[in-house]
Amino acid sequence: MQVYLPIAEMSVDALLLLGIGFGVGWLSGLFGVGGGFLLTPLLMLIGIPSAVAVASAANQTLGASISGLIAQWRRGNVDWRMGLTLFAGGLLGSALGVQIFALLKRWGQVDVAVSLFYVVILGIVGALMVRESVTALLRRRRGAAPRRKLHEHTWLHGLPYKMRFRDSRLYISVIPPLAIGFGIGLLSAIMGVGGGFMLVPAMIYILGMPTAIVIGTSLFQVVFVSANVTLLQAWQVGSVDIVLTLLLLAGGVAGAQFGAAMGTKLRGEETRALLGLLVLSVAFGLAWNLVQTPSRAFTLGPLS
Amino acid sequence: MPGTEEAATAATKAKRDRVFLVVVDDSVEQAVALRYACLRARKGGGRVALLRVLEPVELVEWAGVGVMMQEERRADAERLLAGLAAQVSDLTGGMPILIIREGEAREELLGLIDEDPRISILVLAMATGSGGPGPLISALTGRHASRLKIPMALVPGGMTEQELDRVT
Repeated sequence: MQVYLPIAEMSVDALLLLGIGFGVGWLSGLFGVGGGFLLTPLLMLIGIPSAVAVASAANQTLGASISGLIAQWRRGNVDWRMGLTLFAGGLLGSALGVQIFALLKRWGQVDVAVSLFYVVILGIVGALMVRESVTALLRRRRGAAPRRKLHEHTWLHGLPYKMRFRDSRLYISVIPPLAIGFGIGLLSAIMGVGGGFMLVPAMIYILGMPTAIVIGTSLFQVVFVSANVTLLQAWQVGSVDIVLTLLLLAGGVAGAQFGAAMGTKLRGEETRALLGLLVLSVAFGLAWNLVQTPSRAFTLGPLS
Repeated sequence: MPGTEEAATAATKAKRDRVFLVVVDDSVEQAVALRYACLRARKGGGRVALLRVLEPVELVEWAGVGVMMQEERRADAERLLAGLAAQVSDLTGGMPILIIREGEAREELLGLIDEDPRISILVLAMATGSGGPGPLISALTGRHASRLKIPMALVPGGMTEQELDRVT
């Protein structure tokens, strides 16, 4: 069943898009992540232009994260003050990111740049995930667990402009959260990800936030930053494809329900190792696309 | 009659050995249940047991984050129970039995009652709002009633300290 995507200017099988949306939604329900970091590369692998893939995936991330945010907010797991601080950084980062994106698009380098970003970041993230779950599996066999010091003081605690984050039980400088928000916002704009998979560890290990409110607060940042990215991408780059997004969201909503229902029944380490391998294989796929000899060395198109 | 005396000593011993189980959740009315159990234990003998059921950690993409979540939840539960234990020992003069389990609240509660023969009565308080008495009570008086092996005391959540004093 072919549908024509008006912005991507190509025809794609609607069932394939629904299937991708379902699969990514399933993973995001399972792990409570937005899933953008898998969606954008998958879309690129089926031939959708990177600009459209990034903008539409940001939109899908927004849809997938909102219900999570509402659920966490009802349970009181959102630190608004920290969320707003992160978002302030994220707003700047994503605005700058969209400018860079628009510039790359004008130069005609956007496909290469987005692919490179993905290969590097997915490669690192995937490798870390696999390594972590393999250590966890080995440790389970040996049955020993090292304990981490609860609160460590680093040079980050010497920075000025300290602020009290009551819900996070923190009294820290606003610079690290602003910087983290900025970095994630930049990645969000260029890669079309929500950034939760990097934001969560950053909030725990760098800021030292209690884990109970990390997920909700990160979702707060993800929702508002990806909303900003979608808006700016649509306005400045004009690359949000509504047909594509609708199909992905339709599949994603259904998949997320399945994933959330299964999430409690699966063994953590094995599933995480599989996720890590999946991330790595997507990175390899993109890297292969970058270096393989193209089937057509030249393409001709009308000059606008 | 020597028989009655023997029965009476046995009864006081049993009274001293009985255990009131209170489920510690985040509801407002749980304090009423705890107070009721403490007063009964003080006036009629017996001990109080506190059960806190931890929600299992949902799957997160980083294993280290998941482990930390679990550790922090456990530490929070330990802190909460330690605070309540001080309250209980003020009221009853004895330390309560503290139990932390991980899983689904109803299943863990029923499992604990099955495993631990010391527990003689379950004390729960009913929510005061219009939304029903609370999920545990609804389950244990409804669909899962047949699985409960010990009696259950239901304390109205709106009872004041004086009223609780009068009825215990």
